[in-house]
Amino acid sequence: MNVASIIQFKNVTKRFGNNPPVLDNVSFTLERGKFYTLLGPSGCGKTTILRLIAGFTEPSEGEIWFNGQKINHLPANKRQVNTVFQDYALFPHLNVFENVAFGLRIKKVKKTEIEAKVKQALSFVNLDGYEYREIREMSGGQRQRVAIARAIVNKPEMILLDEPLSALDLKLRTEMQYELRELQRRLGITFVFVTHDQEEALAMSDEIFVINNGKIQQSGTPTDIYDEPINRFVADFIGESNIVEGKMVEDYLVEFVGKKFECDDKGFNANEPVEIVIRPEDLEITTPELGRLQVRVDSQLFRGVHYEICCYDKDDNEWLVHSTKKAKVGKEIGLSFDREAIHVMRLGETEEEFDRRLETYADKGDSAQWKVN
Amino acid sequence: MESKLSRNLYSFSYFLWIVIFVILPILLIVYYSLFDIEGNFSFVNYQKFFTAVYLKMTLSSFWYAFLITVITFLIAYPTAYLLTKTKHKQFWLLLIIVPSWINLLLKAYAFLGIFGTYGVANSFLKIIGMGEQQILFTDFSFVFVSVYIFIPFMILPIFNSLNELNPTLLDAARDLGASAWTAFYRVIFPLTIDGVKSGWQVTFIPALSLFMLTRLIAGNKVITLGTAIEQQFLVTQDWGMGSTIAVFLILIMILFMFLTNTRKRGV
Amino acid sequence: MFDFKGFSMQWYRELFHDTRMLIIVLNTIIVALLSALFSTIFGMLGALAIYNAKKRQTKNMLLSLNNVLIVSPDVIIGASFLILFTIAGVKLGFYSVLLSHIAFSIPIVVLMVLPKLMEMSPSLIDAARDLGANSWDVLTKVIIPFISPGIFAGFFMALTYSLDDFSVTFFVTGNGFSTLSVEIYSLARRGISLNINALSALLFLVTLLLVVIYHFITLRNNKASGLGVQKR
Repeated sequence: MNVASIIQFKNVTKRFGNNPPVLDNVSFTLERGKFYTLLGPSGCGKTTILRLIAGFTEPSEGEIWFNGQKINHLPANKRQVNTVFQDYALFPHLNVFENVAFGLRIKKVKKTEIEAKVKQALSFVNLDGYEYREIREMSGGQRQRVAIARAIVNKPEMILLDEPLSALDLKLRTEMQYELRELQRRLGITFVFVTHDQEEALAMSDEIFVINNGKIQQSGTPTDIYDEPINRFVADFIGESNIVEGKMVEDYLVEFVGKKFECDDKGFNANEPVEIVIRPEDLEITTPELGRLQVRVDSQLFRGVHYEICCYDKDDNEWLVHSTKKAKVGKEIGLSFDREAIHVMRLGETEEEFDRRLETYADKGDSAQWKVN
Repeated sequence: MESKLSRNLYSFSYFLWIVIFVILPILLIVYYSLFDIEGNFSFVNYQKFFTAVYLKMTLSSFWYAFLITVITFLIAYPTAYLLTKTKHKQFWLLLIIVPSWINLLLKAYAFLGIFGTYGVANSFLKIIGMGEQQILFTDFSFVFVSVYIFIPFMILPIFNSLNELNPTLLDAARDLGASAWTAFYRVIFPLTIDGVKSGWQVTFIPALSLFMLTRLIAGNKVITLGTAIEQQFLVTQDWGMGSTIAVFLILIMILFMFLTNTRKRGV
Repeated sequence: MFDFKGFSMQWYRELFHDTRMLIIVLNTIIVALLSALFSTIFGMLGALAIYNAKKRQTKNMLLSLNNVLIVSPDVIIGASFLILFTIAGVKLGFYSVLLSHIAFSIPIVVLMVLPKLMEMSPSLIDAARDLGANSWDVLTKVIIPFISPGIFAGFFMALTYSLDDFSVTFFVTGNGFSTLSVEIYSLARRGISLNINALSALLFLVTLLLVVIYHFITLRNNKASGLGVQKR
């Protein structure tokens, strides 16, 4: 176990009763001082991972290691980890100061020390002067800060955040995203953030774990995951994508919608069936003659930053285009794209196989943007 | 580990209470019903229960309880309905509920005064020229006082279910062409039936088992199942027979609860 | 109803000169306070036991058993307790009355406390454990403060139930020990007397006082329930 790693899951499975497992043979390692995000739809098992780390539940199989110690059966109150809950779980019968001081009082820290530490923690989350407010007098965003202060005041080695921003309105949420990221940098401790909001995950994380059906689908930096989704689920869940079926004719040549296109991918069998992802923002509208694809505009929505244009080709594949230019509904248009915009996904490929394949590209050094940790 | 132990420890005291004061007493009642007055094991009490005297008593107790429940209901439903229409409904509700907080004995005692030979009721009858009547110690006075006592208990659940009723449902019914009366019996009443059922529950079962009122107000003119039990236990000292009647009262209670079982329906 | 000849404290004076009556009033108060105290403790433990029950079925079964004494007619409770105490060899009197009052007040307290427990977000307990609290800390520093309005309400309900009860007490009281309501009943059976009028007024005022206190407690509860952490 290396020094940087703080927590390690070894083949952890969690099931309740005879139901299919919520977490299915999951292994991963988290490093000290990074901002991690567990991203996935509700019920995917992300919160279960958090509860396993916090010690609210125990794994059915496998091992959890923390700082080089196996902690499978260590109760939550003995772990060097603190949690910020989705509903904040602030104690309604205690005021702000007492909420933050709760953990310190349990540890029987000296009074003067408690006072100093609580004040410091509150000023860390910009709540100076709110010590003696009641929780009910605080707004949603302020409660959020109290919850964070209550966690950081104990100087844990790791902070777990369970969808803490989901109850806030959009504006406050964006603001808190900046603040949380900034807070993590200043404190330098590991943050594990659970969310189902892909934008939030992309904006804040050092590393994202995309989880579905109790399994980690893909992990990596936000750009890795966005640019190189491993499968249909990840491509669909993170950002919007056009996914069509195709086949790999040979290295660097892929065929879909009845046409052959040059691409950056290789290492497939000849004529292997694959799935193709092209992001809507990588598609550009031109005339039908100049376009590499010919489609008809079906409908169009104005999204503020761009127009979201929904088109169909002659095979009835749907093509979503994000464009700052307006299109005319019912008109035939052409779509053009670069060869880098084509992303080829092998069917049923695991994360390791995927990483290995990408590494072969990097060895050749033929495309600099592939960067795999 | 220490948490499990303490948890079991405090659960234990509660379970002990359940066993001693909930399960055991019921078993004891059933057990005692199987012994005659001399303490011999026999089914004689059950045979006795099915003789004319006891069956008549049970039927009359049923009849009074039914009468009380129906009259209470006929007064309570419109009252509850009107209450939901008033401006300060919580205040009016409180006013109606207040008597239910006063000790039952005190209310019965007050009626002793009102219905007595020199009471308010008789003075009133004298004024309107009906002369002095024997009101106290009649079945009329028993039903009257019982209805008075049970009205708040009937109003409360009905009021709550009426109050929870989404008013737009009524608008919807009217919008779809229902007359006020149709809207009432096709929409309002079916949706408040749960409240009505709990109202019947809290009236009918106690009305079967009243014994203090029958003694004080009805002057032994009315014998309910409750009065009979009290009589057997505390006067005749025939615990076996008392237990047998209690067993039947429990069975009737279970049956009635089953019949008026409220199922939650989503609206 | 009677010839009114002006207000007089005579009946009250008479009431309190009567030492027997004074003892009965004291008995009633002592039984009410003690039964409320014990039933609050056991009722709170019961509510916790139901709350902690893992299986849904266990929870429902416990709740049904809890409610048996609430739906049972008083005569049946009284009669069955009479058999119980006789068999167990408890002498009818103070202890049998006190035990019965504790027994029939426990389910009320449970019903008062349980909703408060249910209202409590389970993450509050997780949060306390997360911050290092052991089971005892969780109970005393989080759960009990949170459910205290329910506990107070339960206490006052138990107090009123005890003061209010006639039927059950009537069965288990035996000779020599009496509470106010039993005394009023036996006086009333003998006919109207001004002595009971004074007694009734007294009991009425006490009940009213309790109701007012209870009302304020529930009022505070309602305010407090808006205080819970906002949920989505």
